[in-house]
Formats: sequence, C-alpha cells, structure tokens
Amino acid sequence: MDIPKGHQHPLTKMIAEINSIFAEIGFVFAEGPEAETEYYNFDRLNVPKDHPARDMQDTFWFRKEDVKEPTVLRTHTSPVQARYMDAHKPPIRVIVPGKAFRNEATDATHEAQFHQLEGLYVDKGVHLGHLKGTLEYFFSKFLGGDTEVRFRPSFFPFVEPGVEVDMKLLNSDSKLAGRWIEIMGAGMVHPKVLQDAGIDPKEYSGFAFGMGIDRLGMMKYGVEDVRHMYNGDLRFVNQF
Amino acid sequence: MKVAHDWLKDYLGEKTPSVDEVDKLLTFHSFEIEGVEKVGAHEVIDVDVLPNRSSDCLSHRGIARELATLLNTTLVHDPLTGDITLPETDKLSVTIKDQNACRRFGLALMNGVAVKESPDWLKGRLEALGQRSINNVVDATNYVMLSLGQPLHAYDAGKWKQQDGVWQFGVRFAKEGERIITLTDDEYELDTGVQLIVNVADDTPAGIAGIKGGKYAEVDKDTSVIVLEAANFDPVVTRKASQFLRLQTDASKRFENEPSRELVPHALDAVTKLIRDIAGGEIEGWVDVYPTKQESVTVSVESTRVNALLGLSLEKDKMQEILVRIGASVEMTPTGFLVTGPKERTDLMLEEDFIEEIGRVYGYEHVESVLPETVPLAEINTRHYYSEEVRKVLIEKGFSEVITSSFRKKDDVRLLNALASDKGYLRSSLRKNIEEVLDKNMPMVDLLGIQSVRVFEIGTVFKKGEGEVIEHISLALGVRQKQTGYTQKDDDVVEEVMVELERILGVALSFTLEKGMAELNFTDTLSQLPVPAEYAQYEKVDDIQYRPFSVYPHMSRDIALWTTEGVTANDVEKVLREQAGELCVRITQFDEFTKDGRTSYAFRLVFQSYEKTLTDAEVNTVMEKVYKTVEEKGWEAR
Repeated sequence: MDIPKGHQHPLTKMIAEINSIFAEIGFVFAEGPEAETEYYNFDRLNVPKDHPARDMQDTFWFRKEDVKEPTVLRTHTSPVQARYMDAHKPPIRVIVPGKAFRNEATDATHEAQFHQLEGLYVDKGVHLGHLKGTLEYFFSKFLGGDTEVRFRPSFFPFVEPGVEVDMKLLNSDSKLAGRWIEIMGAGMVHPKVLQDAGIDPKEYSGFAFGMGIDRLGMMKYGVEDVRHMYNGDLRFVNQF
Repeated sequence: MKVAHDWLKDYLGEKTPSVDEVDKLLTFHSFEIEGVEKVGAHEVIDVDVLPNRSSDCLSHRGIARELATLLNTTLVHDPLTGDITLPETDKLSVTIKDQNACRRFGLALMNGVAVKESPDWLKGRLEALGQRSINNVVDATNYVMLSLGQPLHAYDAGKWKQQDGVWQFGVRFAKEGERIITLTDDEYELDTGVQLIVNVADDTPAGIAGIKGGKYAEVDKDTSVIVLEAANFDPVVTRKASQFLRLQTDASKRFENEPSRELVPHALDAVTKLIRDIAGGEIEGWVDVYPTKQESVTVSVESTRVNALLGLSLEKDKMQEILVRIGASVEMTPTGFLVTGPKERTDLMLEEDFIEEIGRVYGYEHVESVLPETVPLAEINTRHYYSEEVRKVLIEKGFSEVITSSFRKKDDVRLLNALASDKGYLRSSLRKNIEEVLDKNMPMVDLLGIQSVRVFEIGTVFKKGEGEVIEHISLALGVRQKQTGYTQKDDDVVEEVMVELERILGVALSFTLEKGMAELNFTDTLSQLPVPAEYAQYEKVDDIQYRPFSVYPHMSRDIALWTTEGVTANDVEKVLREQAGELCVRITQFDEFTKDGRTSYAFRLVFQSYEKTLTDAEVNTVMEKVYKTVEEKGWEAR
C-alpha cells in the first residue's frame, strides 16, 4: 500500500507563509545565530547591563570557560536587527523568523524555546503609519480577511516610541473575528540603536516589531498547548 | 502598581474620572490595566506601570498627574509643588562616602510621637492595596511612599546612640562578610557592593540602603523620638545589591528606576505632617545633604520630526499644548521647541522621548495606515529556500516534520544556568531527539493511520569551539517500521530517500546512517548549493482543522470479511463507521483480495475516548454490534 504523505510542522509552515507575504513587499528573510553575544542580544538593543529592562527577559547564559565573549541563547531574534544594519546600508527591509529562548518555567502558554518573528524597516521618512499599514497588510493576508490594527503605549528599550499592537479580524466567520487580540510589541527604532549601527537617526528612521510565531499559531489554529509544538508528537504534527 | 480610586481623589478632587474612565484613558494613552477589584469600600485598579515610567508612576500622585495630563486639567492638590517649611536642625548629621552611590540624604527629627495603631482611614487604604498595617509611624512612611513614590524609613532615635549630642548618620559600602539583621529578623551576609546606612558613633549597620531597614533602632510602641529618612540611591548600585541579596522590596523597585532626587524634601514634609496628625509630636527640624544634584535636561524638539516619526500632521500649537500638559516648560524656536520635562520625569532625555509623549497623549488612533511602496526583493534566503525544497521531498516520501527541544540532559555544551537538571546541555546532534520521537510515536501508528513512523527535523545544533560555541544547521531523519524496533529495512528506506534528496539538490550528501536514522550537516550542504534566483510559489493551505487530541490510550481491533458481490471498500467502511460510533476514531483498510468472485476486505478500527481509558469490555461491546450488522448484511466475517 502507498505510504501516505507526511506533514509539515505548523511553525515552519507559518514561517514559509510569513516569508511569502513579506517577500511580496520586499522584506528579506534575514537570520543570525542562536548562540548570541551579550553585546548583540542586549547592549546593541539599548538594554545596558544592570538595567531593570533586563528583567523583562530571563536569559540562558553560556559558561565563561566555553566562550571568550559573554554569550547567551538569544532571548529574541531582535539582535539580527543590529547584525543586519551593521552589514547593510538603508533602505533596509527584513523579517527574522527564528528560534529564541527564555529561561522560564514551562506551561501551556510558555516554553523555554519559542519562535519569534522580528521585522525591521529603515529608510528616510519611515513613520508609525507605515508600521500600521505593514501589519494590517500582513494580518489580512495571513488570516485571510480584512484586519485592523491599533496601538497602545508600551516600552521596549530598543524602540521609542514603543507600542503594544492589537489586531482585529473584521468581516470573517473565523472564531477570531470581531475582537481585539493583543499580538505583539513594536515601535520606532530607538535613535541609539540606529546610531550604534552607523545610521544617522536624523536622516533615517525605522520601525521594528516582534511577535511570537507560536502564539500566532495557537491563535490561528486554536492550539491549546504550546508544548505540542516541540514534543515531536505526531498526533499533533499530522493534523497540519 | 495597585491604585485606590479614592486615593486619586486627593489629587484630582471633583475632576477624578470614574474607574471605567481611568481604565480607558490609561489603556490607550499610558499603561495597561491588569484588573479592577473592590476591596472593602475601595475600588482598586491594578496598573501595569511601564518600566520607563516606574520612576514617577509607582505612586498615586504620579498616576493622578498622568490622568490630569490626559484630561487636560491640573491637580487640585499637588504635594510636589510649594515651598518646604521645615526648619533646619543641628542635632542630625549625615556623612556620605560615595556621592555617586548616594546622591541625596534627608533626615527629619520628631519629638513626642505616640506610636499606636493607625487610624481606620489609613489602615483601610493600605490594606486595600494589600499592605499590612504595622503602626501609625511605619504606616505613615509606607503611605507617603505609595503617594509620592519616595521610599522612606523611620528610626527610633532613643535607640540610636548619639555622639556629641548629635544623631550621626553615615552612608557607606559594606565590608566583605559584614552582616546585618533586617526589620523582619532576617540576617544577610553582605559584600562590598551593598550600600549601608550606619550609625557613625559605633559604625553599626542600621539599614541596607534603598532596600530594607535594619533591626537596629526599630520603631516600637515605646518609641517617642523618631528620625525619618528620605534619600536617593544610585539605581545600578541598588539593583546589584538587591540581586546579590535576592531581596526585592517596594523601595528597591523604586530606586532601581531612578526616581527624582527632588522628591526627598517633599516626602519628608509630607511624612512629618502626617505623623504629627496621626501620632502627635513636634517636628524638630531636618537636614538635607544633596551632593549630587539632578541635572535638568533641555532637549530640542523639531516639529517636522514629530510628525515625520508619528505619521501625523499636527500643528505646532497642538504639540506645544501637549508638552505643556505633561508639565514640561517649553520655549518656542523657529523650527520647534526647547523642552524641559517636569522634575519628577527622569525618563525624558531625548527628542524621541518627547515625541512619544506627544503621540500617546494625542492618541495613536489618529495614526493612519500607510503601506510602504513595494520594492523588489533584494536577497533570497538560501537556507530557507533549500529547507523548503528538502521538506517537499521528505513530506512526499511520508516523512513528518518535528521540532524538538534544543536542550538535553547530557551533551557537549553546558549552560551556566539550566532550567532543569535534565535540560542542562544543548544538543550537538539531532539524532537522539529523532530516536526519542520514533520511540514515542511507534505505539501510535494505528491511531495515526500509518504503517511506519517517518520523521525529520531541520534545526540548530551546538558544539564547543576555540573560545566560542559553534552552531550549525543539522538535518536528521528517521524511519521505524517494526514495533519491535530497528531493522535493516529502516536503513533501506533512509538510503532511498537520501538518493532522492541528492537528485533534487544536485549534490552528493555525506551523512551518517545508524539504526534507521541519518544526519547531515545542512550548513555544509548549503555552502555547495547555488544561490536561488527566487522563492518557489507558496501554496496557501486553509483547510487545517486542528483538534486537541485525547491523552488516553487507544485500542485497535481488526475485522476481515467476505462481502457480497458489488460491495466496495467504501461501502464496508461506511457501515463500519456507522456501527462503531464515536469511540472509533480511525478506520484504516489494510487488505483486499478477490477469490472465486468474492472480495475480502480487512480493516483496522481504532478506538479512543476523550474522557477515559477504554476497557476491553467496552470495545468488545462495540465490536459485537459491528459483527451483528455485518452478519445482517449477509457478509461473512473471517
């Protein structure tokens, strides 16, 4: 008898879809290491040592004897922002889907490893309206229906202003439709982050956003426990 | 920060918005609201104060001031304005060793205080916020901290040894191994990074600066002369000490976030007046040692940049109005403003900080969506491109993709701070994870409707290098066909798939093959592959209906039967499905042959409940029903 086809993991499936949506408007799929230096993971994102902002993320550290430079398991894919800006001149449009790690207890909504989607757009004249427009474009395509995005004030050290992003799916028969869903953090790239990458914040501006792909999947497919994503259980994977 | 609604009225009076209104205003212009609850007569709003506003808004006055800005009004009572009328005294002295670590240190002396229970209104407010009432003097210090955001401490002057008729306070770093017992009778061993408040007369530690008071000179019911302390400590010093001691307090949380040094006199003024009101006594006087002044920062804000960053088209007048509303002093320039934030807003340092203020106070709902102009894609991600190619091949060959844990119990690279003892290392290979996945899924093949388990993963692995950790992308796949474990045939399947992968990718793959599992360094493979010109077309699949799966075990039953002429496999399956009912979660045909004009079909029925572990008897009952119907149809079970 024929072997039935296998199944693609929902996370890589989503990443492929996310990439196709952003590629259409010129966003490059960028990447960086999972074992990241403290310098790129924190300092270059305006999170200085001994600053309360570091409390926002529980971090896995490598042992001093194994690394010359202080190194962590990246707590977000945001360090690729700085890496990409070091290597490229604006205009810059990138997305960074990838694995990240937080040293926190595991439960149905938290995993020590997760996937994050970072986005960065740096050019002359980039403003909050572009962030809103880009995200509405993305969610409409990804969720298959018109979506509206709204901002609430927030704080992330590497953006200023910083916003929390809520999303609402309109006129759709999806279970998600008709209510605001808190979905990600975003903002305008902090001038220090641009400056440290050799980009003049007086000449260029940019937006950045970061969201959990796992959470996006839990929302889109109604997955009840994030741990299914990582335990290799085909009762889960083979439904996709 | 828990905020009592009635407490806000002290500052906003009649203009205090309703709880709902506070919720709405703060949510869309300032902070998230975690919840609202009624505690006794108080409505308590749990405000998630953002890190950059923990300098001024971990206080009722701060939240009230924020609301006043949003409502475009002023506070009816602002404890941070007005002159401080405290007299000076020479009975108190302060010596600061490190003026960067302790920027300001104020003390006030009160005589004739009667320590007793707090009045009901005070107890009520503290308890509404989940604070325990201690006595009127200690409660007053906590109350003023929650009002103004300035931590305070009260000492029993009677227990503080004087020298030359003076209560001498010192601020210095601890000596290695020095010890202190805190108010709550906990003993801490200190290191040289911890700053102390000491009695200079005998060098006794009296408190951990900015974190917690000591047992020394503790206020009790017999206390009548008190010294009140309000100081300002360096955020980093406080934070490091708090982390070293694993002791985070209401005070340390505030000092870590750089509260204004200008709060000190206002807090001493407020606390002494409150104590006089509720505990009696006289204010003898105060000292204020302020070696490291807070510098006010004046920033140039260009009006074109405000609109350029926010995507708005605000008039200059509107920007100015908002800046004035937040309490800034604003000077017009031809292209914008010179702006100085209010003294309690230590977070306003850059032009962008003020632009954010304008944006959020005006309201982000006014930002219009603009989709950036489409540009051609500058680069193709090789790893993503070829990973997708590999996935296509493997999925076609029956392989399902897994993403497993990057952590392992034992491997090459060890983490400094592991989450658990079985997750102390990072994986150097995917093989063991794949093996575990095969083991785990093998007993479920019937349930999954597959004959063999075929899985793969593309993921990062870590190895020790020369003074660094080296990572690469690994591709691993595994096959298992027999419940009893690995057979040579598993290797055959893997090899066949590898040949197909080599054909598609056009390069030779060097891989290890062991027990039906192959692994290769995909990063190496990628380096041999040409850069693709464009991504393959993405095919959107929208019919995914995920359903949480049952955690209970399943049970399988096979049925083989001769049918009457003209009966198809579908017909049989339909009947089986109807009769087997909801507990039957999968029916898979595994055999079919025709002999003497009759056809035999064989099916495997898999039973599972969402509620419990099924018993043999339960499944047998269902099967009896199935057999009965089969018989009625004139089919013959074999």
